[in-house]
Amino acid sequence: MPKRLSVVPERCSGCRLCESVCALQHFGVSNPKKSAIRVIALYPHPVIRMPVACRQCAQPKCRENCPTDAITLEDGVVRIDGEMCVSCRQCVISCPFGAIFVHDDIPVPFKCDLCGGHPQCAQQCPKGALQYVPEHELGEANRVAAVLRYAHMKEVEYVEKGERKKLRYAEIGREQSD
Amino acid sequence: MPFGDDFALKYMGGRGFGAKILYDHLGKIKDPLGPENILTIAPGPLTGLFLPGAAKTHLVALAPLTGIYGDSNMGGNFGSELRQAGYDALVLTGRAEKLSYLWIDDDDVELVPAPDLAGKGALDTERAVKEALQSEEVRVAAIGPAGEKLVRFASINCDWGRNAGRCGMGAVLGSKNIKAIAVRGGQDLPVADASELRLLTETSLRDLSDHPLFEFWQQQGLMSVVDYLNTAGGLPTRNFQQNVFEHAEQIDGFKMEREFKIGDTACFGCPMSCGNICLVKNGKYKGTITEGPEYESACTLGSNLGVSDFAAILKGNQLCDELGIDTISAGVLVGTMIEAVDTGLLRPSDVDGMKLEWGNSDQITTLLEKIANREGVGDVLAGGSKAVLEKWPQLDPILVQTKGMEQSAYDARATISMALAYGTSDIGAHHTRAWTVGKELELGAKWTNEDRVNIVMYHQTIRPLFDMLGVCRLPWIELGFDEQRYAEYYSAVTGVPHRLDELLERSRALWDLTRLISVSRGISRKDDYPAPRMFDRPIEGGQYAGRVVDRGQYEELLDLYYQRRGWSEDGLPPAETAKSFEDRLT
Repeated sequence: MPKRLSVVPERCSGCRLCESVCALQHFGVSNPKKSAIRVIALYPHPVIRMPVACRQCAQPKCRENCPTDAITLEDGVVRIDGEMCVSCRQCVISCPFGAIFVHDDIPVPFKCDLCGGHPQCAQQCPKGALQYVPEHELGEANRVAAVLRYAHMKEVEYVEKGERKKLRYAEIGREQSD
Repeated sequence: MPFGDDFALKYMGGRGFGAKILYDHLGKIKDPLGPENILTIAPGPLTGLFLPGAAKTHLVALAPLTGIYGDSNMGGNFGSELRQAGYDALVLTGRAEKLSYLWIDDDDVELVPAPDLAGKGALDTERAVKEALQSEEVRVAAIGPAGEKLVRFASINCDWGRNAGRCGMGAVLGSKNIKAIAVRGGQDLPVADASELRLLTETSLRDLSDHPLFEFWQQQGLMSVVDYLNTAGGLPTRNFQQNVFEHAEQIDGFKMEREFKIGDTACFGCPMSCGNICLVKNGKYKGTITEGPEYESACTLGSNLGVSDFAAILKGNQLCDELGIDTISAGVLVGTMIEAVDTGLLRPSDVDGMKLEWGNSDQITTLLEKIANREGVGDVLAGGSKAVLEKWPQLDPILVQTKGMEQSAYDARATISMALAYGTSDIGAHHTRAWTVGKELELGAKWTNEDRVNIVMYHQTIRPLFDMLGVCRLPWIELGFDEQRYAEYYSAVTGVPHRLDELLERSRALWDLTRLISVSRGISRKDDYPAPRMFDRPIEGGQYAGRVVDRGQYEELLDLYYQRRGWSEDGLPPAETAKSFEDRLT
């Protein structure tokens, strides 16, 4: 079953352990600038921390724009062939997510290869912000979250057998803002 | 300048580099705010690596707040970036002609004049510099207006609210006309055995996340301390008059989680994400957004000022970050002013006509702004405790400070080891060097004086070791992380096997060095006492009601402490220390 790296930005703390372990995995060095995943942290308008990595697109723009056919899509992983690549950076510029990277020490652009099916970033993420999930589960978390957000609108406290409890419910059809 | 292996191994980094550089230049420094003061900004040899909490950058200089040895540290991503640019330390001395920022882009270093940044808030400055350099990925450390105005407890902000708060390092930067430092780097960090380090770290990260309190820590961070201390009877309230705050549940971590927290934030490489980003969604302070508060700020701007409105604490926290002042010093000084007016030691006319009262957040925000801008009474407060006591000596019994540094938000009367920790801390009454409150509350009933001195000295040795290595102490103190790991990390990084006791000995020797720096400025036994309030004013309310620090017992502890350090009865290291500490560092 094909799996995808899925990002849950609202869980990300911006700690960059993903960057560290990625560079170690692929280049054996401590250098977040050699990692194929980057956390962008914006503040305060809006407040967001979000890891950016290749989404292994089914119709990769990078492949489309590669003048030497160095980019392939095999088994759900987009790869750059170091032999065929002329390092023109066309892929870096054309990736809509900015998920292809360059570094002076490395002859060709580099990107996420899902660590051969065991992405280290997802394994080390202490917040569950990076998940490696079966494709058909993509979007499910968002669906549930969307429903929960709606249902969190109201809260009622009550006492049952001497214990204080809370029940959450939605006033159907009436959006409420603070 | 290159340091050489010998220097690097002896002093390790961070506080170690800074203290040595300061010591060597000490003869030239008259005024901490003069151009001759030398500011070292140094991460450590572990900073930026793949290991938990490897994010710290230390700032060392002669401290504007106290006039003695000073250091302060900040987390975030500044230190890792600085190391990636190839620098283990920035050493700043002299003064820029115009207000400028320093732009370090790997090997290219440039002083960029930026007069338009004058008066800007610290976070606004971070934004402006990032915009000027057209990058969200550069890391910026910046001072606010308080640093420019040389407020003696001005802080340095990086990464939107990670502050080096204590000692007034922001004023040192301000005195050099440096508004900000921006850095970007892409170099590999030196690690002798990267695969060994990776193995060690993967085990460490598993150990940490297996800790039963790990998730709770991620949720609340240091805010969990409010409830813990209030329940234990140790939450400083209304300028350390009480130890239990009747509205604690309005300002604790649970309240924050329920109503204010909108996100987590972490320093580089740390799984613990102790930072909380909070937003005020309703009321007078609606729209206030800040990273924090952490415990110290929640107490010094909250219970210690009688403030029970969490939104007001967030406002105070945000103001302090933006103005660039230390929340602890500011909170304690404001609390002292409120008590002084409340009890008649000062008249409202002494404080610009304000009838100061507990819990009045409008007055508090006004005072914070006055401090940063040096207006009216703010100009006196901006000088720190020393200036306040010079102007109003009658405040000595109520101003809680040691060596001119306002005390952190932990009481010392229920735990005399903490009194010793404050009295002997090398920068003044700060808890960073030793925090023994939890242990003594738990186990103290059976302790001898020897036990108390032992625990204070152990803390004063291992915690500064973290400050030399460039790592955070919180995994160790909060989640019981095994300190032996740090020797293993350091061995893997340097390629030279080290035992923990060898590293601790270097830290211990460095303590003598920071003492010598302060002794050269007149520090001796007379300065090694906690604030008078700790001895003279019994705690009101709570389970420790009536407790004070016993003077006789304190003197005994101090005697024992000096003996253990090999210092004289007057607290002076022997003359040969200055010559011999280099040998002890090997």
